Amino acid sequence: MITLKTEFQKIKRRKIGLTIFALLGMQFAWILWTAKSANEKDPTQGWLNLLHTLPLLNVIMMPTIMAVLASRLSDLEHKGNTYKLLRTLRRPGILFNAKVLCGLLYTGIISVIQVSFLLALGYSQHYAGAPDMYYYMLTFILEFACCFSLYLLQLNLSLLFFNQMIPLVVGLCGSLLGLVLMYIKMYSFLPWGGFLSCALVGMDWNVETRVVTYFYREHSTVELCAVGMVFIWIVIFYVTGRIAFTRKEV
Amino acid sequence: MSAQNLVETHNLTKQYGKVRCVNAVNLQVPAGAIYGFLGPNGAGKSTTLKMILGLARPTAGNITLFGTPVHEKNRIRLLSQTGSLIESPSYYGHLTGEENLRIIQTLKGCSVKDIDKVLKIVRLDGARQKLVNHYSLGMKQRLGLAAALLGFPRLLILDEPTNGLDPAGIQEMRELIRSLPGTYGMTILVSSHLLSEIDQMADHLGIIRKGELVYQNTLESLHSHAVSRIALRVSHTDMAMDMLRQDGIKISSEDDYLLFPMMEDSYVANLCRRLIAQNISLYRIEKREKSLEDIFLSLTGKETSL
Repeated sequence: MITLKTEFQKIKRRKIGLTIFALLGMQFAWILWTAKSANEKDPTQGWLNLLHTLPLLNVIMMPTIMAVLASRLSDLEHKGNTYKLLRTLRRPGILFNAKVLCGLLYTGIISVIQVSFLLALGYSQHYAGAPDMYYYMLTFILEFACCFSLYLLQLNLSLLFFNQMIPLVVGLCGSLLGLVLMYIKMYSFLPWGGFLSCALVGMDWNVETRVVTYFYREHSTVELCAVGMVFIWIVIFYVTGRIAFTRKEV
Repeated sequence: MSAQNLVETHNLTKQYGKVRCVNAVNLQVPAGAIYGFLGPNGAGKSTTLKMILGLARPTAGNITLFGTPVHEKNRIRLLSQTGSLIESPSYYGHLTGEENLRIIQTLKGCSVKDIDKVLKIVRLDGARQKLVNHYSLGMKQRLGLAAALLGFPRLLILDEPTNGLDPAGIQEMRELIRSLPGTYGMTILVSSHLLSEIDQMADHLGIIRKGELVYQNTLESLHSHAVSRIALRVSHTDMAMDMLRQDGIKISSEDDYLLFPMMEDSYVANLCRRLIAQNISLYRIEKREKSLEDIFLSLTGKETSL
């Protein structure tokens, strides 16, 4: 806990929250636009539309947001050559855990804000009926897990490379890959495709009537494996990252 | 293990690929000493210090700190009694000097009051609220020393602490380091590639060359080698040697020369008269000086730069 406390002492004046919320603000503006149009067509589909939109936007934006978050938390250590001092005060594994926990808190807050925003938006738009809280809670858990797996991937890269352009480029490429995966509408075992695999709501677009209908997806066994893969990625990224960080000489 | 040694290394070795940077180094740092770890650039000083601090894993050998062999489980506990400044100082540029020290103080678990004390010691108390990015290099170096001093550890490991400082800063840092054992009872292991710096700061010395420890003793002992001598070359060396021995003078021979310690001018003049009276021809009489630098160069190799 003491090491985690110092993580927050370190990021004073870094404006990490501001950067993240600026990016989330763009995402919310997008959701707001789709929410208004959805309400005009069929308010009964509103709550489902929100659950459908969030993973789609996350698959595009979260790789970049997580890259920024991990980079902002790590580059201060590279710039100040601090690990050669910190490693004489704490075991490397503990220092790594502190970075992981700090990111876990950030990704948790991001996911809470996202789901809270969806609920607030739905109520403010007077969608018909009530939100299915089971699905909203499940969305929170799955989106949180996807964000965290990407955060761990980006953290490992940010701690590995002094030049933060490398992990940031990987984050941007992840966003582009997510966009491609979204267009070909396939579940994915890749870390960047986790949001699509975990999406609880599907969409059916009738070509003739041009009516969009949202529905709760029933995941096939393979799709469930893809969801499970998100949690396996978390374990893989944590274990490999911790080993690499611990073995690295400074 | 000698009870007086705070740091001991036994055959400490570090190899990167096929290159052996540190080769079977047996360092012995006595308690209360200022141990100067001297060697040319690239000799293996930083690597040795990093291994002592656990920042690099030894290929072979072991380390003893405060009389206890260091292993992964007790490393941090033993290092809690140690402060370090390796190469350049570690800092968070976007934070003030005081905020930087607060982080180290939190991790070390020492008193908050220590921050005020160490800032006064390194004379940074006036700049405590200034962002470290706005510090000069000398100020950053002093902040690094302040961080090492937090908790007033028993052992301070400093790797080239005067690097990048101007002459006044070097003098200031040197005086500060020299005062620490007396004031706070610290033992200091300080590395440098400058002989003059170590000569003015340390009382014990280890010289490393191409990864091997080529000399280790007190600085006083090294100074004793740096004396002036008289070199004499005569026609009958044995007879001259007997004459000098009868006078109770310690002599040695090197090539065709007889070497003996510096004597009064009157004795040398009298010696010359006696040699000639004995029909011993006097070919050469020279003053030989071996400076500390000559000794250092003979130990580290003249091809290396200082």
